[in-house]
Amino acid sequence: MTEFIATFHTHLSAMRTQRALTREGIAARLSPVPRYLSASCGTCVIYTAEDAHLNCMDADAERVVERLDDKQSFRELFKCS
Amino acid sequence: MKQRNFWVILTGVIIGIAALALTLLGNPGNMGFCIACFLRDTSGALKLHSAEVVQYMRPEIVGMILGSMIIAMISKEFKPRGGSSPMTRFVIAIVVMVGALVFLGCPLRMMLRVGGGDLNAIVGLVGFIAGIFVGTLWMRGGFTLKRAYAQSMTEGLVLPIIAAVLMAMSVFLPSLFAASESGPGAMHAPILIALGVGLIVGGLCQRSRFCTVAASRDAMMFKDWSMLWGFAAVIVTTIVGNLILGKFNLSFADQPVAHTDGLWNFLGMALVGWGSVLLGGCPLRQVILAGEGNSDAAVTVTGFVVGAAICHNFGLASSPKGPTVNGMIAVAVGFVILTLVGVLNREKA
Repeated sequence: MTEFIATFHTHLSAMRTQRALTREGIAARLSPVPRYLSASCGTCVIYTAEDAHLNCMDADAERVVERLDDKQSFRELFKCS
Repeated sequence: MKQRNFWVILTGVIIGIAALALTLLGNPGNMGFCIACFLRDTSGALKLHSAEVVQYMRPEIVGMILGSMIIAMISKEFKPRGGSSPMTRFVIAIVVMVGALVFLGCPLRMMLRVGGGDLNAIVGLVGFIAGIFVGTLWMRGGFTLKRAYAQSMTEGLVLPIIAAVLMAMSVFLPSLFAASESGPGAMHAPILIALGVGLIVGGLCQRSRFCTVAASRDAMMFKDWSMLWGFAAVIVTTIVGNLILGKFNLSFADQPVAHTDGLWNFLGMALVGWGSVLLGGCPLRQVILAGEGNSDAAVTVTGFVVGAAICHNFGLASSPKGPTVNGMIAVAVGFVILTLVGVLNREKA
């Protein structure tokens, strides 16, 4: 199992994605975006799953990263400007 | 201690110390920093309103914008963005300024007032938290101002450049600007010190994302308490500092630039809390975001300046004697406007 963090352009988009992931049976929670990922103070979704479930991302998803063992390192899986 | 908490607490402590120092050096009581008051003074200096006692080009605000911009550029986080309902943000900013000037201070000054023993600010704090709670209900209900988009470097630099140019003009061409000869506008720390302190605080706030609204909002929405550490740090630092300096005065009456009308202290800050949640951050945070190139935040700061002018031109701002009837009506209208903004910007969650 891997921990993923998805960031969004809007809080609403984060809420929609969290609900979509939950409907898939994935434990997903809303959280402030970690500082090491962004200077902005938006909302992210943190979830643990076998894969990133990019199909659950709302249209205003900004970025999905896979958190690596070192808590502040990550690998980018998806990015939209 | 988590690294994030370290930066937030450090920012809170430095803000507290800086506010105490600026007050000692000439700023009005419990007003080492106040985004609302300082933008109101700046609005007066630009002759957008004619309240003679609150006109001064406050260097702290310029310093904070530029401090945020410099640190954001150094850390490659200066990212011009905008287009997230700018005119709606402008209107919300005016409403927030009405609430702040009926209370007599932004959330940051409210914290400094608590740190000075001003019990009226405790009433304001309760209202502020209540307003934030209402704002979070709208957020949970699908409120959105839509997304922002990447913009040109020019767009992100407009407000920092305007701030720097106005600051330079106020120093080298002072006759162009209005300047109070008495009242809060005449009380100020030396320009270079105020500018320097603003630069430091602006840079720290950029690093830590310090936000007085996020403290309560994140606790309510995500059970994330990180920002509350910074909130507490400001209050504890100023309480300790004021006790050491012999300036801690625990009372409702006779507080500097404050009134004792509990209802309107509560409602004014409730309006600020609710509006700030819709904006995505407190007035201080908007200033910092504007420095990072966020043009929506720049529009919001412009809205604060215009809102301050409206408050003084139409007699909405309170005085130490208390709130005005016009101010009370404006706060009520503000709640109606925020409700309308909420209804009109709601989508299915």
